[in-house]
Amino acid sequence: MGLLLTAGCAAPLQTDRLLQTARAFPQPVELSEVPFFPQEAYQCGPAALASALNWTGVPATPEALAPQVYLPERKGSLQLELLAAARRHGRIPYVLRPQLESLFAEVASGNPVLVLQNLGLSWIPKWHYAVVVGFDLPRNQIVLRSGLKQRHVIPIHVFERTWRRGNYWATVVMPPDRLPHTAEELPYLQSVVPLERLKRWREAAAAYNAALKRWPKSLPAQLGRGNSLYALGDLHGAEQAFRQAVRDHPDSVPALNNLAQTLADQGRWRQAERVALRAVELGGPLLDASRETLDQILQHTSTNNLLGPD
Amino acid sequence: MNKLRRIAKPVSHLVVLGLLVLGIHLPAAQAGLISTETVVNAEQVQQDRERLRDMLTREDVKNQLLARGVSPDQIEARVDGLTDSEVQTLAAKIDQLPAGAGVLEVALVVFLVLLVTDILGYTDIFPFVKKPAKR
Repeated sequence: MGLLLTAGCAAPLQTDRLLQTARAFPQPVELSEVPFFPQEAYQCGPAALASALNWTGVPATPEALAPQVYLPERKGSLQLELLAAARRHGRIPYVLRPQLESLFAEVASGNPVLVLQNLGLSWIPKWHYAVVVGFDLPRNQIVLRSGLKQRHVIPIHVFERTWRRGNYWATVVMPPDRLPHTAEELPYLQSVVPLERLKRWREAAAAYNAALKRWPKSLPAQLGRGNSLYALGDLHGAEQAFRQAVRDHPDSVPALNNLAQTLADQGRWRQAERVALRAVELGGPLLDASRETLDQILQHTSTNNLLGPD
Repeated sequence: MNKLRRIAKPVSHLVVLGLLVLGIHLPAAQAGLISTETVVNAEQVQQDRERLRDMLTREDVKNQLLARGVSPDQIEARVDGLTDSEVQTLAAKIDQLPAGAGVLEVALVVFLVLLVTDILGYTDIFPFVKKPAKR
């Protein structure tokens, strides 16, 4: 029996390490305003997601979220589908590093954390989603919105064992104008990009703006900002974004190509042609796209023979 | 219905290939612009071949969701919300990934095992069990 229980649990718990440095988070933290939705059968995914979304100002109910995340044949919700659903509501999910420190850092910065737990054992799994809303290191306690309990308080090491069986999976759900405390550049931007496919341009632009405040020279963020503003019809803003991208990354074909297209759309053909030519000269895997942009500009300038204002 | 689903996948692949042959563009943010997705994947510019693969994988995941009971009018948006790498993971492991449900359906003997492990602080099934403060 003891063997069965300890199998796979040989590695020391992170809790031990963390409790030794309890001074890092001396004060108890609790985000008591995070709303609670008691879960109905099989619906802990929608309930946990509703908590996280409502905290960011999206008034979604578990009933409304269920068709967006529930997988009938599996009688549950997959992690990746929770992320996708958050994006459908114009929010940015960000999966944390698998460490208690990251989890607590987010909660301490005011961001509740949605976690996957296996409340049972590896061979009798009970997969469950809950939302961490508080912790108290000196008293070794963690506070969750979980199942039917609005305030589920358990020792941190008990939580960690259930969380470890869920491979330490945790995500925050952020409003687009705020970065997670522990955000890293590429993973964050990769999580933003699907908002473009969902045509959530306004939120995408806000997220790229937030990213540029922390990583001012990030090429994907600069391009994303330009593309989003372009989609919103703000050609001037898009041009500024692409110009900045070209300044910081003079050899970026996407930056040059998109700047050329934006200039052409504003009737500034001479400038557009110059920029498009540079993109084509650089070649590379996107040559087809940049050549097409150039051709389209040349077509216009040759037929009209009327070069617009520079 | 099952038969239809079996046919749906090869057909959707054919349709995608057909679109490509006709020269219809791979997804870009807008006509003329190169999409953000093209540069964000580890900042490596994606080749057309990879973008084609991603597109086919998306179709594959849509069919898999459909076959697992998701309502057809939800399929498109559920897959659109995923990144390319999330789509790859889902396509490969949709039946192995944990599905959080928060519900346990087990026999009495297992119930007793879990009661004991709860009391010992290894599991957290029963809210009424007082968890040990010391490990």
